[in-house]
Amino acid sequence: MDFRFTEDQQDLIDAAKTFFDGEYTVERLRAMAAGEEVENLWPQMGQLGLLGIMAPESVGGLEQPLVVMAAVAEAAGYAGLPEPYIEIAGISVPHATAEQLSGFIQHAMRSELRPYIDAALAKSGDAVKSIDPLRNLIKAQGGNDEDIDNINLHGAVLSAAQLIGLSQCMVDMSVDYAKDRHQFGKPIGSFQAIKHHLATVYTQIEFTRPIIHLAAIKGGAAVHNAKVAAIDTAILAAETAIQVHGGMGYTYEVDLHLFMKRAWALCGEWGDRNYHMKKLEDYILNGDAELGPGVTF
Amino acid sequence: MDIEFTSAQKAFREEVREWLSAHVPKTRLPSFDTQEGFDFHREWERTLAKDKWGNVNWPEEYGGRGLDLISWLIFEEEYYRADAPLRVSQNGIFLLAPTIMEYGTEQQKSRFLPPMAAGDEIWAQAWSEPGAGSDMAAIRTKAVRDGDHYVVTGQKTWSSRAVFADWCFALVRTEEGSQRHNGLSKLLIPLDSKGLTRRPIAQLDGDPGFAELFFDEVRVPAENLLGPEHGGWGVAMATAGFERGLLLRSPARFQAAAARLVSLYKQHKDRLSSGVGEQVIQAWMNTERFCAATYQLVARVEAGASITSESSANKLFWSEMDRHLHRTAMTIMGAQAELEEGLDAIDNGRWLDGYMFSLAGPIYAGTNEIQRNILAERVLGLPRK
Repeated sequence: MDFRFTEDQQDLIDAAKTFFDGEYTVERLRAMAAGEEVENLWPQMGQLGLLGIMAPESVGGLEQPLVVMAAVAEAAGYAGLPEPYIEIAGISVPHATAEQLSGFIQHAMRSELRPYIDAALAKSGDAVKSIDPLRNLIKAQGGNDEDIDNINLHGAVLSAAQLIGLSQCMVDMSVDYAKDRHQFGKPIGSFQAIKHHLATVYTQIEFTRPIIHLAAIKGGAAVHNAKVAAIDTAILAAETAIQVHGGMGYTYEVDLHLFMKRAWALCGEWGDRNYHMKKLEDYILNGDAELGPGVTF
Repeated sequence: MDIEFTSAQKAFREEVREWLSAHVPKTRLPSFDTQEGFDFHREWERTLAKDKWGNVNWPEEYGGRGLDLISWLIFEEEYYRADAPLRVSQNGIFLLAPTIMEYGTEQQKSRFLPPMAAGDEIWAQAWSEPGAGSDMAAIRTKAVRDGDHYVVTGQKTWSSRAVFADWCFALVRTEEGSQRHNGLSKLLIPLDSKGLTRRPIAQLDGDPGFAELFFDEVRVPAENLLGPEHGGWGVAMATAGFERGLLLRSPARFQAAAARLVSLYKQHKDRLSSGVGEQVIQAWMNTERFCAATYQLVARVEAGASITSESSANKLFWSEMDRHLHRTAMTIMGAQAELEEGLDAIDNGRWLDGYMFSLAGPIYAGTNEIQRNILAERVLGLPRK
């Protein structure tokens, strides 16, 4: 029992975070939201090994468990990563056949992945428009319910992880704003009304991350717990952040909206709150599973 | 990440479970905030100590088993799973003992830890004063050095267990004319000292769960100074870290309550409105989140990290979780919620007791407003002024 990342895993997570924070700046996000051409960063992601985190070593991947992917997804969430990276590396790759995978990895290694994805998306369905200006959605046919439940486990964990990354980013943006914005001759961040709101969000984030990690390793009810906790945390973070930003938070000019809208979108993805709550109703209220101390791990 | 218990840890769990099932009293003990209940709980501490179950993570020389914190968590899980009595010695074993281990002299360790482990000396905390609650640096109780003694004069309050306990650990002003956090020291004081008067304070349930302590020139041997003279603030903060952070409230206690809450819900399900079920689920979810977070914290501590400001987030989470959980139970019980005892009192008023106690959680160990200030300023970096 040692509920920590190994040093190697932590190095990989830190490298991903450094890359996302360094490359996916808000300037880049704004440019992408405005439809401007930006440099294709997928070759770099491929070189860093980020695309093959969960792929088997036999096809050139890093063969890391879902929990490592979850930590990378949190970093992606923090940066507001506007690419379908998590969906590819964390959901498609682990569910792909060996044949599909070797094709994928070759594409990734040849840095051709982005056009490959775009081409795949173009022929798979009709475009629909999200409030999140950085999400390119298409309407596609789903598989059967069992497939969806299985894929949802990965998707729920990784979307939960992105949600707490987004939440932390919104807290940090709010802290910066509250230190800078003066009223009554003081930074508004010196007022307890502001401090207490943000401390509450911080606490919720800190007590959501570990259950996401547990969910990634153990699956089961922890997944539903993790996703619901992450949804509630993200909504609290977004509502608190806009309140701290005041009128500025209600504009398209302040970057907060980019992160807030992503949070809204991911709350409904990979099993919304109702889906996961109903699963918990079955498990906790209608089932006869042993509950209480000693059964968490 | 490894979330499997080792075979040694699994065997340890079995051993704990077996011992508890043979020794835990079959009926719940009366509250330790009554003389009768206190005596029963002291006896229980002695029973635990006899087979070295009281403090499994302490060094063997002081009455422990020298095990790591994971083992302690396993012990706690089995302890609350068996519905064993609450620990009347908690202020000593969870708050003072780690402080003595960190700051005490060898002599203090061997003088104070074994009788604490044995249940022979039960400790109370004496920090707050009428004018020093959330603003603890406003402490005025003074201790003047006189030869090989300190002479303590002043007043302490909200001293839990002090009505029936044997000793208290006090934070007093040793440096004359000092201000705020400076000039304070931590003194270990027998509660039967000459010149020390205890006035019981009845808490919400009517029992004297805490006391006011009046010190009128109480002479305390200088060897009872814990940590550096005039450096008591730092020593006290270490204790507060234990209190808020890890030891005082392990997840098992809340997880056991959540499991009982689910049973309560199932018994009353038919007459409940539709939102109650979600509150029950939420209460269970919170306890699992707290458990996962605690195992992660323990993994970090075992790897050498120290607990700092994150103990404030911990305290916020468990205290608000506990209040929500018990509030949900009160909602479920409806008209029966107010019943303390008698035929229709569910579980002999246990939920009501729990709800009342949960209301203290956001206040003791530093109010939740203070914890939010600490997080905002020290972790998030918001300006103090």
